[in-house]
Amino acid sequence: MRLAAPDTRALQLGLMPGLSLADARARVPELAAIDHDPAGDLALLEWLADGCERYTPMAATDPPQGLILDITGCAHRFPNGETGLASDLARRLERLGLTARLARASTPDAALALAEFGGNEVKALPVAALRVEAETHLALRRAGLKTIGDLATRPRAPLAARFGEALPTLLARLLDEEDTRITPRRAEPAIWTEARFAEPLARSEQAIEVISGLAREAAEAMSRRDVGGRRFEASLFRTDGHVARLAIDTGLPTRDVAMLARLFNERIESLADPLDPGFGYDMVRLAVPLTETLAPEQLQLEGRSMAEVEVAGLIDRLSTRLGKCRIQQLQPNDNHIPEQAAFTLPAQGKPAHIEWPKPEEGDPPLRPLQLFDPPQPITVIAEIPDGPPRRFQWQRASHLIVLYEGPERIAPEWWRRKDGHMAGKGGLTRDYYRVEDAGGRRFWIFRHGLYGTEKASPDWYLHGLFA
Amino acid sequence: MTVLFAELVAATNFSFLRGASHPSDMVAQAIQLGMTGIGIADRNTVAGVVRAHVALKEAREEIGRDIDFKLVAGARLAFVDETPDIIAYPATRYGWGRLTRLLSRGNLRSEKGGCILRFADLLEFLDDLLLIVMPYASPNEERPRRKTVVYDGLEIEDADPGALNEILCTLCDRAVGRIWLGATMPRRGDDARRLVCLAEVAKAAGIPLLATNDALYAGPDDRPVQDVLTCIREGVTLAEAGQKLEANAERHLKSPGEMARLFAACPETIASTQALMDRVSFTLEDLKYEYPHEPVPEGWAPQSWLRHLVETEAHKRHPDGIPRKMRDVLEEELGLIERRNYACYFLTVHDVVKFARDECDPPILCQGRGSAANSLVCYLLGITPVDPIKEKLLFTRFLSEERHEPPDIDVDFEHERREEVMQYVYERYGRHRAGIAATVIHYRSRSAVREVGKVLGLSEDVTSRMTSTVWGSWGDVDEERISETGLDPGNPEIDRLHELVRRILNFPRHLSQHVGGFVLTEDRLDETVPIHNAAMDNRTFIEWDKDDIDALGLMKVDVLALGMLTAIRKSFDLMRLHGLGDRHLDNVPAEDPAVYAMLRKADSIGTFQVESRAQINMLPRLKPREFYDLVIQVALVRPGPIQGEMVHPYLRRRNGEEPIEFPSPDLPHDPDELRDILERTCGVPLFQEQAMKLAIVAAGFTPAEANELRRAMATFRNPGTIHELEEKMVDGMVRRGYKPDFARRCFGQIKGFGEYGFPESHAQAFAHLAYVSSWLKCHHPAVFTCALLNSQPMGFYAPAQLVRDARDHDVEVCEIDINASHWDSTLERSDKGSLALRMGFRQIDGFREEWGKMLLAARTHRLFDSMEALGRRAGLPSRALRLLADADACRSIGLDRREALWNARRMPEGELPLFAAARAAELADEPGVTLPAMPLSEHVATDYQMTRLSLKAHPMAFLRSLFRSESVLSCAEISAGRNGARVKAAGVVLCRQRPGKGNAVFITIEDETGIANALLWARLMNSQRQTVMASRLMVIEGVIQRSREGVVHLMATRIHDRSDELERLTSGCSIQPQPSYSDEIAHPQMPRGNGHPRNVRILPRSRDFH
Repeated sequence: MRLAAPDTRALQLGLMPGLSLADARARVPELAAIDHDPAGDLALLEWLADGCERYTPMAATDPPQGLILDITGCAHRFPNGETGLASDLARRLERLGLTARLARASTPDAALALAEFGGNEVKALPVAALRVEAETHLALRRAGLKTIGDLATRPRAPLAARFGEALPTLLARLLDEEDTRITPRRAEPAIWTEARFAEPLARSEQAIEVISGLAREAAEAMSRRDVGGRRFEASLFRTDGHVARLAIDTGLPTRDVAMLARLFNERIESLADPLDPGFGYDMVRLAVPLTETLAPEQLQLEGRSMAEVEVAGLIDRLSTRLGKCRIQQLQPNDNHIPEQAAFTLPAQGKPAHIEWPKPEEGDPPLRPLQLFDPPQPITVIAEIPDGPPRRFQWQRASHLIVLYEGPERIAPEWWRRKDGHMAGKGGLTRDYYRVEDAGGRRFWIFRHGLYGTEKASPDWYLHGLFA
Repeated sequence: MTVLFAELVAATNFSFLRGASHPSDMVAQAIQLGMTGIGIADRNTVAGVVRAHVALKEAREEIGRDIDFKLVAGARLAFVDETPDIIAYPATRYGWGRLTRLLSRGNLRSEKGGCILRFADLLEFLDDLLLIVMPYASPNEERPRRKTVVYDGLEIEDADPGALNEILCTLCDRAVGRIWLGATMPRRGDDARRLVCLAEVAKAAGIPLLATNDALYAGPDDRPVQDVLTCIREGVTLAEAGQKLEANAERHLKSPGEMARLFAACPETIASTQALMDRVSFTLEDLKYEYPHEPVPEGWAPQSWLRHLVETEAHKRHPDGIPRKMRDVLEEELGLIERRNYACYFLTVHDVVKFARDECDPPILCQGRGSAANSLVCYLLGITPVDPIKEKLLFTRFLSEERHEPPDIDVDFEHERREEVMQYVYERYGRHRAGIAATVIHYRSRSAVREVGKVLGLSEDVTSRMTSTVWGSWGDVDEERISETGLDPGNPEIDRLHELVRRILNFPRHLSQHVGGFVLTEDRLDETVPIHNAAMDNRTFIEWDKDDIDALGLMKVDVLALGMLTAIRKSFDLMRLHGLGDRHLDNVPAEDPAVYAMLRKADSIGTFQVESRAQINMLPRLKPREFYDLVIQVALVRPGPIQGEMVHPYLRRRNGEEPIEFPSPDLPHDPDELRDILERTCGVPLFQEQAMKLAIVAAGFTPAEANELRRAMATFRNPGTIHELEEKMVDGMVRRGYKPDFARRCFGQIKGFGEYGFPESHAQAFAHLAYVSSWLKCHHPAVFTCALLNSQPMGFYAPAQLVRDARDHDVEVCEIDINASHWDSTLERSDKGSLALRMGFRQIDGFREEWGKMLLAARTHRLFDSMEALGRRAGLPSRALRLLADADACRSIGLDRREALWNARRMPEGELPLFAAARAAELADEPGVTLPAMPLSEHVATDYQMTRLSLKAHPMAFLRSLFRSESVLSCAEISAGRNGARVKAAGVVLCRQRPGKGNAVFITIEDETGIANALLWARLMNSQRQTVMASRLMVIEGVIQRSREGVVHLMATRIHDRSDELERLTSGCSIQPQPSYSDEIAHPQMPRGNGHPRNVRILPRSRDFH
């Protein structure tokens, strides 16, 4: 593990990015470290870029930590023009607790380089500002060309011949010899449709109707491309500039208009603060940013896949209404401990191919379907040290055991316990027995601890009932 | 009623990453539990059975009476074709051969470490094998070897073995009465039901069921270790291992009573184990061994042929008649050889040496040593250069009849050409008769911490942190070490890691080949022990290591590699080439005073054996004047004598500061008995022969007892035994009239030999090479340095130090140049007529030998005049051109590094065909570009990056003013400093060593004026360990200590890491000065006999005292 982003104080203590965590800890034992979360960082960066749309529609990200704003013609609204804009941005970022290095230049590359390496003068920047490969970088330095200025004054053709055709281009971009544009962040979705209204829509119900209409158009567009949508985003643009965004996800790609309408309806109903049309919506847009291949053939005829589709539809509806994490599905877990042999996951999403362990042919089920949590304490009469149980008492009822099989001996996970690797400290072993009482009822009971070696008189528990 | 039971399916940790107990622990536990025997069956190997065998033998000795316990040796066969696992035990010696043949075949099909077996293979080698068929198969996926050696039956036919009952039927037909079906009660829940099913299967097939626990470890507490091993094997952490782990801790050895209880439903399964055991008559003692008869011509018996060879040679040397003394010794030796039947052994070694000398072109230099090597026979056969009569060595001292041990001869060959000799041996005797011994690679702290840490889910930087402060690969990971790394030893995770590492330490991890010990047999070797593919092509090795071979009395010939022999041969070649005389190992002028004068000045960098820091310190004290002084010097500066505290008494006596006296025993014993043994070494035992002789003569040990003493010293296995022997020796000496105090001191000295002592014949052989290399260095420094550079890597010093030393000796050293250099370094006549050393292309990091050849071919007729000519005519790829330019090798065409690189980067890859046809200038004119000149410091830094040395300046020269301002002295000033002065020195780190018991760390630093040696006591080291180990450039504060002989040490108190200053030279590009090969941080040293064979030091170890 290495340091990804030391904060100001850590930097002052001499901790640099790339230093291994153990080294850093050795130097600064009280160092607090948080796992690096690149996805989270990117999300933050994008969120910031969205926020910067207040300055210019032309905002782009330069991951992992750069933002590029094209502020051509945007600065007039600020006192002191560009400087005012920059100080406004700096102030807002500071308020968010972020440290920012701002730089202005005539090309995005130059601005990024100045922000990264500091200074005001592009020609004073080190050649590293070109962001070339390490080998080329070393070669430039070996040639004694250490700054952008060193390169700028020399003929380009020999440079291109030695350091690659890309170098003059990169150089030109830095030096404002080539017009470069940024690609704004909000990329065009694969499929989108929109409707504008001369007279704003005043009621949400109308909006749903419009969305259904748009969905129909989108579905046609999708079926032309043999795709179905996995994510749908409706944007309701209010006349006063506010944008309400509604998004729904589906487990399987779909272009079923009726279902989409139903899902949007449910989404609107489940909103914490209901849609407020205010002065009305003057534009509604439906975008499908995420699509997957969906074959054109109809699925109705095949019963089985139909059932699958219906289950998926049900899961989508319930998940949309109740929340993604509310609808869960059981998954097998590779573990010897019975209560850890399965766990649940949100049901929506790509259904993984789940394979449950099957008993050998002809074998009875070895474990009950459901377990008591926690296991029920019982009193048992059994042979010592590890003989089978003869009779047990559960909830004041006594059961005479007539048939048994076992024990299935399951040792504890010693590595989860303090000192578990030491003899006798690993925890208690369980001996499971499948037993049948005189009434034909079957139970799954276990002895907790090996007699004598682990525990003087082990307790017994009932862990489940067989159907 | 006592139950008679033996566990017959027991794995040991030689079932790598499966079994979790040592073979000895399994045997001990089985005896403890009252079993009647144990069957050791590891997965497709018999690598662990010898150890089990030895453990049982030792247990018998310890208990002092015969125990009714039988060890059955075999293997568990795991197949690739889903055949269930089958445990095979040979009933007879013939059956053993079948089993090892079967395993050999499987091994040779597979990549190193694997074994590819099919059911059909078993059917071929079924004779005399008793088989336990397990009802389940363990998955076995192996990678087949792409390039196989020649061996019969390696091709594979696809055949489906069928279901369990079919397999049983097939086996029952072919091996009537030798099949059992293994039944286990693993506590899986359905055990009873499965047992009934198995009983039905067995009944249907008409074979008995056999009770077993399929044991993986000795006791239930070993489960955590087994779980960890499973995780290592599967490459998962414990948390994610899930059902890859065993569900419970049941797979340990269980007592007969418990087994009887488990199998109460089928008591006959318990009885089966006794039935099977009774059928086995084979034990490992039955492996009779015979040496190959090959080197004997038709019509001769080995003994008479050996006599003939030796006598012919003796007559040649003494045409006027063999001296009487020689004849006596010869008769004695030949008589002993005949009685012990060792003639073939000597002939085989002779044959290998003869091949290297006479049949190779050019001949390969070689030289022998070892216990049997101080024989007159070896001297006359030309195996060793040491004349035992002249040097008063006695062969019989080490090869006595009482010691039923095979003789030992090691032969060193030029390290670059040893492979030729090895392949000759394979060819001469065949793959099925010759194999290299194995070396068992064990878990060491580094590897164990790394792998166990991974299993526990610790991140790599935590574990590498823990291992980074382990000195060498062997050091202990103790709590102190851990807290130094900033990790909390009290942390439960770290504590767990620590404990599990401790338990896994010394577990075998895999087999590898020994450095060069060949085992040769007259009969098929593969019917004695299975053969494996080594990682290297065309190498095969057997799966028993040195100890196993010793235990079974097999003999081996060591074919070893020695870098110095390569360097000496290259020196002789260069001398011939440049008209400096025709020299061989045996005609270098002897006893040249100039050579000794040079050594007395401690001027020995690059020479053999006397070049290390410790040796250099010793040279001015010992002041060698004759050959025997070198013999002593070589033997003296060894951990053994140093730990035995013999060095200082010896020096004092030699310099006449202490009387040399030989305590005498009481009458009637010979008062001069000690004088005879110790006279040549001033009364201090320095050689192993002396130590043993001392025990025999002065303490009245029998040779066998002396041998026991030797063994006890070597292994330190049993501290009790050592103590017992000490009492015995001291008592013996006191009884004969010696003072107890003297007796104890003698024993202390002998104890020091344990690990590292030298027998005199070794010292003689090495001293010979030390002398030859010193002679070369003294008279032909350019030749010697050139040869050393061309034999790298070898020796203690890196090229930078060798070149520097040569320049200090007025050798002109020339830069690498495209118009002058070859791949190797070469010698040129300079204008003054002296020989100058021209560095070769091999010095450039990343430059390939084939590029060197291409360049040279294009240069034969015409020199290059431009970068373009170089690129076009030599057809070099642009990477090669850039490397040449970056190494500043284009000065002869008027380009310095920067210009050359500027031109080289312009060269396109390859030549365009059209232009080639026209031979026109391919590159168009371009506008001129002026580049800033490269500062010298940057040149030097780049030189270091490209070639690891610079002829232009030392990096420290550029930092001198900086350090001067901090009142740091130069190394030269330190050497000239006043005793007791408090000073600071700075330099790049050449070498860090922590010899012996590790109370002190020696650090050697270098600057532009020379080197300085610093000593840091261990207690000071611990607080600045990180600095000591991580610095490339350090400032050392300390006090100058000057000995009477003028040896200067800086007694360090504080070390500062100033590596960052190196960055200043180039503003950003870092310099990595290369430490010498003796630096124990950059080149961790493995202790003798424990490390990976490839890493075993060129400095060979003692052969006789282990």
